[in-house]
Amino acid sequence: MMLKGKTALVTGGRGGIGRAIVSRFLREGARVYAADLSPEGSLAKHNEDGSIFITLDVTQEADAVAAMQKVGAESGQLDILVNAAGIEIEKTIEETTLEEWNLSFAVNVTGTFLTSKHALPLMRKAAQGTTASIINFGSYDGFIADPGLAAYCATKGAVHALTRAMACDHGPEGIRVNAICPGYVDTPMLQSFFSGDGSGGGGKSIDQLQQAVRDVHPMRTYGTPDDIANLVNWLASDEARYASGQLWVLDGGLSAQVQQMKL
Amino acid sequence: MRLAGKRALVTGGRQGIGRGIVEAFVREGAAVTTCGRGTRPTDLGKEVIWYTLDVTDAAAVAELAFTTDGTDILVNNAGVQVEKTVADSTDADWKAVIGTNCRGVFNLCRAYIPRMPEGGSIINIGSISGHVADPSMALYNASKAFVHGLTRSIAVDHGPRIRCNAICPGWIETGMLDAGFDLAGDPDAARKDALTRHAMRRFGKPEDIASMALWLASDEAGFATGQLFTVDGGMTAASPLNPGLF
Repeated sequence: MMLKGKTALVTGGRGGIGRAIVSRFLREGARVYAADLSPEGSLAKHNEDGSIFITLDVTQEADAVAAMQKVGAESGQLDILVNAAGIEIEKTIEETTLEEWNLSFAVNVTGTFLTSKHALPLMRKAAQGTTASIINFGSYDGFIADPGLAAYCATKGAVHALTRAMACDHGPEGIRVNAICPGYVDTPMLQSFFSGDGSGGGGKSIDQLQQAVRDVHPMRTYGTPDDIANLVNWLASDEARYASGQLWVLDGGLSAQVQQMKL
Repeated sequence: MRLAGKRALVTGGRQGIGRGIVEAFVREGAAVTTCGRGTRPTDLGKEVIWYTLDVTDAAAVAELAFTTDGTDILVNNAGVQVEKTVADSTDADWKAVIGTNCRGVFNLCRAYIPRMPEGGSIINIGSISGHVADPSMALYNASKAFVHGLTRSIAVDHGPRIRCNAICPGWIETGMLDAGFDLAGDPDAARKDALTRHAMRRFGKPEDIASMALWLASDEAGFATGQLFTVDGGMTAASPLNPGLF
């Protein structure tokens, strides 16, 4: 029970990775708010898992304010904030409309900004005598590009820079800020990427394509949402009390290697 | 007990970060072996196995790997630093720093990788100094960059059987940090200045690094490999410009 007595809010808490984080936090003894557009999120089924659901559109400042008012009234403080809400437009810049570009930034970057901004007063309270922890979602795509994901790559680079800036500004108040940068993780977002046009499939079936992608990984697999939740849990816990301002790549070794040439 | 049933070897467990890792691993149920150049420290827990070992001695390392019959977790922590520029470094300095920090890590990895089971985890202690230069630490900085490169290679070559990651500590309260401040004209002022450069407003402790090592050693880190994980209280996330300027 690494998070006993702590209160956590997870945006995108009904999505692929967010849902795994919510259930891990519950197992570790935290009081958990799962915030998302709808109780179902991107997955078909809504588990009654013991979390408290909050309807939150991260692009709307009024939603962020209302969410924090609810957390404040019910819990008094917020120890852990996970900004896991995100979207991925699978297009080059030429194909991306201005509306899609703006929506990418609104969810992935502005959403992280707004939720964090309005969480800070509650997190300052939680940090008294210990530390509070904000965990943003960057991506290995913020360091190196996948084809046909231009707006996504750009938003994740922005999240990385924002993470360092927030760590620098709020560390002295006891608030740690880190980003997790997942590689390929088995989520609805990944399945959408494989079935879209952006994957460079070259006539391969989706199964063949997926196996080819797994084989490029030193661990010969891609990650599960639980793999990501494992590190989120560590960063949220007091064990990580000196970890701040970092971008934590979790990708099965994918980006430790050079481009895999077909020699 | 996150490491129950696992065997761990931690080099350089006499003091500092190595000792912190030894203690954390013991607490979590691992059977821990550690080593150092001298005799067994008197304050080392009696459940810990101690070998007197110079990691620069390839034959001795190979013998240890045979004697211990491998390990599940290998932590290459043993390291030395010499506070000199390139121009001032002697051949003896090269031998000491490169011998321990580079050759030593290589010796241990070469001897142990064939004897590590599926699911094994290697944790190398790199440094933020492998990314950004500490002044007058030329060979040390370079040696840590070597460790980072070797870490990625092992991950790529020996995955999926073995995971390999490095931890890059920032400024940790150890004898090494004191030695660094002793170089300053006014060590107290230097210490105060350094603290304001850390977002968390403190230096690290060996247990801060040990908790990351524990996570990487555990099965929870099953998808983590080939990475350099920095734990530095936010120092390298900020620009090195003097904080007094703003």
